[in-house]
Parts: sequence; structure tokens; C-alpha cells
Amino acid sequence: MSPFKALTWLVSPLALLALWAAVADAALFPANLLVPPLEVWRSFADLLATGELQEHLAGSLSRLSLGFAAGALAGLAFGTAMALSDTVEAYCAPLFHTLRQIPSIALIPMLVLLLGIDETFKVVIVAKTAFFPVALATVEGIRAIPRSHFEVAAVYRLRWPTLVARIALPAAVPAIVTGVRVALTRAWVVLVACELLAADSGLGQMIEMGRQMLRIDVVMVGVAITGVIGFALDFSLRRVERRLSGWQVAGR
Amino acid sequence: MNAIAPSFPAHVQTGALSIRNLSKTYPLKGRPVPVLQGIDLDIRPGEFVSILGASGCGKSTLLRLIVGLDPDYQGQILLDGQPLNGPGLERGIVFQDHRLFPWMTLQQNIALALKNHDLGTAQKQRLVDEHIALVGLRGYEQAYPHQLSGGMAQRGAIARALVNKPKVLLLDEPFGALDALTRVRLQQELQRIWVQERCTVIMVTHDIEEALYLGDRVIVMEANPGRIGEQVQLELAHPRQRDTALLFQHKQRLLAQLVGH
Amino acid sequence: MKLRNLRGLLLPLLLIGAWELASRQDAAGAYAFVPLATIGDALVELLGNGELLVNLLASLARTSAGLALGIVGGVALGALMALSPLANRLVAPLFHALRQVPMLGWIPLIALWLGNGEASKLLIVSLAALYPMVLNTFEGLRQVDVRHREVGQVLALGRWQQLRLVLLPAALPSIATGVLQALAFAWVTAVGSELFLASGAGLGNLMMNAEAGARMEIIVICVLCIGLCGYLMTWLSTLLARRLLRWRPTR
Repeated sequence: MSPFKALTWLVSPLALLALWAAVADAALFPANLLVPPLEVWRSFADLLATGELQEHLAGSLSRLSLGFAAGALAGLAFGTAMALSDTVEAYCAPLFHTLRQIPSIALIPMLVLLLGIDETFKVVIVAKTAFFPVALATVEGIRAIPRSHFEVAAVYRLRWPTLVARIALPAAVPAIVTGVRVALTRAWVVLVACELLAADSGLGQMIEMGRQMLRIDVVMVGVAITGVIGFALDFSLRRVERRLSGWQVAGR
Repeated sequence: MNAIAPSFPAHVQTGALSIRNLSKTYPLKGRPVPVLQGIDLDIRPGEFVSILGASGCGKSTLLRLIVGLDPDYQGQILLDGQPLNGPGLERGIVFQDHRLFPWMTLQQNIALALKNHDLGTAQKQRLVDEHIALVGLRGYEQAYPHQLSGGMAQRGAIARALVNKPKVLLLDEPFGALDALTRVRLQQELQRIWVQERCTVIMVTHDIEEALYLGDRVIVMEANPGRIGEQVQLELAHPRQRDTALLFQHKQRLLAQLVGH
Repeated sequence: MKLRNLRGLLLPLLLIGAWELASRQDAAGAYAFVPLATIGDALVELLGNGELLVNLLASLARTSAGLALGIVGGVALGALMALSPLANRLVAPLFHALRQVPMLGWIPLIALWLGNGEASKLLIVSLAALYPMVLNTFEGLRQVDVRHREVGQVLALGRWQQLRLVLLPAALPSIATGVLQALAFAWVTAVGSELFLASGAGLGNLMMNAEAGARMEIIVICVLCIGLCGYLMTWLSTLLARRLLRWRPTR
């Protein structure tokens, strides 16, 4: 790509920034509704210097990892069991597919009533959000494994644990990673939503406080950081995905 | 330009194709590699020319240049004395794969070729019906391509190419993807249709028998870079019989020349 | 054989039984896990006074309006980005940057700018529907088989005809996938935005009011209603998509 073409990628973000600065500068809107970009940057630096931002970020990310680890591992185990055992499927599939229809966001009021607005509530809802996509991807990933793989296992009389660890999971890994990626981005969205509605710490709470105090600069910093984190999570798992699918093609 | 003559005169006068010193290169790792070199060819109106060659000799590239899908070449291609400029409805093409649009019925696929003609709806409908009948697909008007067999879909593609009454019909290994029996049947069909329509035809193929059976002239193309080799003139009236001694002799000779040393 | 098919009902029944049992333990249990009878009564009440229907219809109307805007805008933007390299280079960076922010994360900002009313909610729902539409339209148009494009050229179709008769139909499966995703996002986001922006009617508003009044039975009914409606809408759209895409070979 020529340097000129590479530069065109920057045109629209820079244009937006310039427009924003110009409109803020012209004072077309009240200053508390449209803060100039420089001031947002200064708030960001302030929040960073006082350590406030790091604190909120740490709060959000620790909730995310705890809830996500629990939900994803449970989803992996449950999905594997359901894909490999007809009995488990017969008993669990209808309930699983019914509950899967209920969006996590809609569960927020119910869980707040049941669990209060403490840590438990947020971890539980993140775990719930992570569980379903991972379980579903695991079921479908394992189901998509060619029969011949299992026939090889039967010929060599592999035991159950070996079958799972050596054949079912490795062959289904690319599909599962995709499920994990979807689950992680959704869990992040839902966590931020929960923190917006009910929390005493976390990025969402920082944004909500900013809104209540009409500090639009803090809100914008929060929204931008939320986007960056979401992007980073998605991007890193996409790289894992690509590497894995590359391995799969090469292995064929 | 786009008007369709209601019926062809018994003696065809348009559809003369002249190719003058045609060359084409592809860039490969930054270096130009010649695919076609110094092609000179004159095709009479209403002539059926078979271009015979091994895969990779550039014969399909030649058709793509004539139909106007690739404007990047040196030399001249003239249709009735006029230089070509992009694709046009006076040239029709049938590819090896039928390329019917899967989201349209057979009838819609064929009617699509008439999209830019100044004809009334009824007239277009009549032309589509005629051509469906011509290729023997009556009763399948409303079928989607995936509901047709390979041979039937290829008949549909031929009908689509012919419905414009093109001056020049280009066939790019039209039966190459079909099973042997269907191929023989469609070769006979094509001969019958061509005798009826008498447009200029250029058919690219690697099937010696097919080239000889259908062509007024068979041009052997040599590879690396693609250029014109031997030309065989077949003074034999259409419709032909497959087992004619003349065709058999030519076949043995071309086979020996192309395959054996 | 018949009995074996009923195995799937065992767990749901156990779950409901456990819920009922928990509600009968003590006052706290009855507060958190309301008895089934109470839920039934609340359902009758909500249906009787029309509250459920009014709020459901409000949410559905919001979803459909946002979905319609998102589909139209998304197909247009996706097509523009797929067909014009220049437009793609200009728009894509901004689009992909903005799309990283979780949908509901925009709510505080939009609420500050546009207020708590219908405009904010509609904007959020439309944006939620827009993203998948742009992505899927773009991918669908980019992946149109070059062999089909060539037929469009050979038949001397104009640019507009090629778009309408070749490119868009070829991208239709991908666009249909986009609509299914957009529908799910729009529905969730509609209910979500109602939770945050507490004005006007909607299932989310009904739930928030119920939360404030600790009416668990109403929340349960709303959750079931949201799940059921989401399922029904997806099912209907799948049927519609299958009808539209009936030209595709079925395997």
C-alpha cells in the first residue's frame, strides 16, 4: 500500500476529532454537554494520575475474569457431556435451549432482587453470560467432528477420558475458541451494563457517576476505555483463532 | 446496435472477426510472462472454429479477451471491422460451468440477457420461450438451477447466450464438466442448433473429437507462450456423422501430433 | 418410547419444584422466590389490566422501528463500503472504532445528549441493528463469486442493474444472517435501554418498576415474556429467510 493510501485510513477519525474540537470551540452547545477533546484528554490524565481509573479498571477486570472463568469452564464441561452422551442430552437439552433464549440483560432486575447488588450478582451474571455461548460452541464443535475420528477411537479401544482429551476436545478447539471469543465480548458488555445499573466500583460505575454529576468528560473517558478493552479482548482471541485455524488447514 | 433481427437471412454477412497481432502478458512475481503472442486470425461470418489445445495454452484467455472481460492486451480485435470496447450483447459466451444465477429460475436467467433490449414484454417472453424450446428444456421454465442436472443447466447457459441472437458465440470448453454420454448428446444438440442459427462460433476445447466433429476449421494452439499452430480445414457439410473416415484420419494425425512423438 | 421423550421435562419440573419449595421455607424465601400461585395471580392481573400488553407492544414497536432503520442504514453503508474502496478507506476506521464500545455503554452519553426519551432509545436500538447489518452486507458483497460478476458484465448490465440483479441477490444469504443477528441485538438492546432510561412504556420499564416495588412475580413474567418473544421473532425470521432463499440447494 502506498503511504498516501495508508494515510486515508486516518482521514475520518481525524476529521471527526477536528469537527468535535471546532464545534466545542465555537460554543454552539453548552460547555457541560460538549466538552472539547483536550479537556477529555486532561480528565483522562487526571483519572490516571490519581489512580482512580486503575482502581475501577481493576475492579471490572477481576469480576470479568472470575465470572468468565467459572462460566466458560462450566460451559466447556457441560457442552462436552451433552455432545458425547445421549442421556445427558435427553435430560438437559430442552432446559438448556429454553434458558438460552433469555438475554442476560433481562435477568439483571431478577438477580438484583435475589442476590442484592454485591459482587455475587455481577460474577453470577457474567458467568451465566459466558456459560451459554461456550456450551453451545462446544456441543456444535464436537458434533461436527467427522464420525471417522470416533471410529478410529473405537478401533483402538480408547477409554472415555482419552477420547475426550485426545480426540473430542482438540478437534473441536477452533469452534470452541470462537465460542469463547463471543462469550468474552458479551460478558464484557453485560458486566459494564450491570455496573452502570448497580455497583459501587468499576468502569460502569465511574461512567454512571460521571453522568449523575454531569461530568461528560469522565463519561467519555469511560466509554472510550470500555471500547478499548472490548477491542483488546476480541482482538487477542481473534489472533488465537487465526493461529488455530491456520494449524488446522496446515494439518489437513 | 442492440436490436434483434427477427430472423436471420439465409446467407450470414455479419459476425466477421479479425484478430491482429494479439499479445497478452500476465505479471508473475513482478515479471511479465507472455500468455498469448502474435495471434493473427480471421474468422468468416457464420464459421464454426474449434480451437484445440492443452490446458494452460492460453485458449481460454483468448476467449476472455474477445468477449471483453479483460481490456489489458496488445494488438487488435475487430468485429465486422470495428474495434471492440468492453463486453457487448453482439457477443455471447458459454463457460465450462453453467454460471446460471442460483437465485433465478431458468426463465428469469435467460430473460436477464434481454434486460437491455428495446423489446416489449410479450416479445421478450416469446424469445425466452423459443430458446428454452430450442435447447429442449420446455417444462423446466420455473426450475432453479440447483434443480437441474449438469447437462440441463449447460443447455440453459447455451439458451442464455443465444437469446440475444449474438453475431459471435464463444464457447469455453462448454462440455468439459459433463459426463461422456451427456457430452456426446449435447455436441449433437449444439450442431443442430448451430445449423439452425448459423452465427459465428469459436469453441475452445481439449477434446480432439469434439473439435473435429463440430468445427469448419480446427486451430491447434501451442503453449508457452500461446500461439497458433497448425490449422485444419474441414470441407464437410453439417450436420455431420461422427464416424466419417475423414474425421477419423484427422483425429489419428492430430492425436499423434499432440500426444506422441 | 414415548416415556423416553419425556426425560427432557424432568429437569425443568425439578427446577420449578425447587423454586416452589424455596418459596415456602420462610418469609425471606417467599420474598425472593415468590410462590407459583402468586406468579399466576400476577399474570392474570397484568393481562386483565392490559399492562403486559401495553408494555410488550411498546418494546416490540421500539424494536421494529430500530430494526427497520438499522437494516436500511446498514445495507446502504455496507454496500457503499464494499463497492467503493475510497468510501471504505474513509468510513471503515471510524465505523470499526465506534463499534468497539458496548451498545449499552453508549447509554449514559446518549442520555446526556438526547435525554431519557424515545429518541435516545430508538438511536441505541438502531445502532445495535446497524452493526451486524453493515458487517454482513459488506462480507456478502465482497464474497460474490467472480464468475457471477463476469456474467453480469458479459450480459452488458449497467452498474445499477449489476447491483440489483447480481450483487445484492448473491449477498442475500449473508444479509439474511445479518438480519437475524440484528433482530436479536435490537430486541435485547430495546429491553436493556428501557432498564436504563426509565421513561415511557416497555417491558424493561415494567421490570424496573417491579424491582423498585420488590415484585418478583412481575419480573419473572417479564423475563419469560422477553425470552418467548425473542424466540418467536427469531423463528419467524428464520422461516421468512428460508422462503426468500428457497433457490438455495437444500442439503
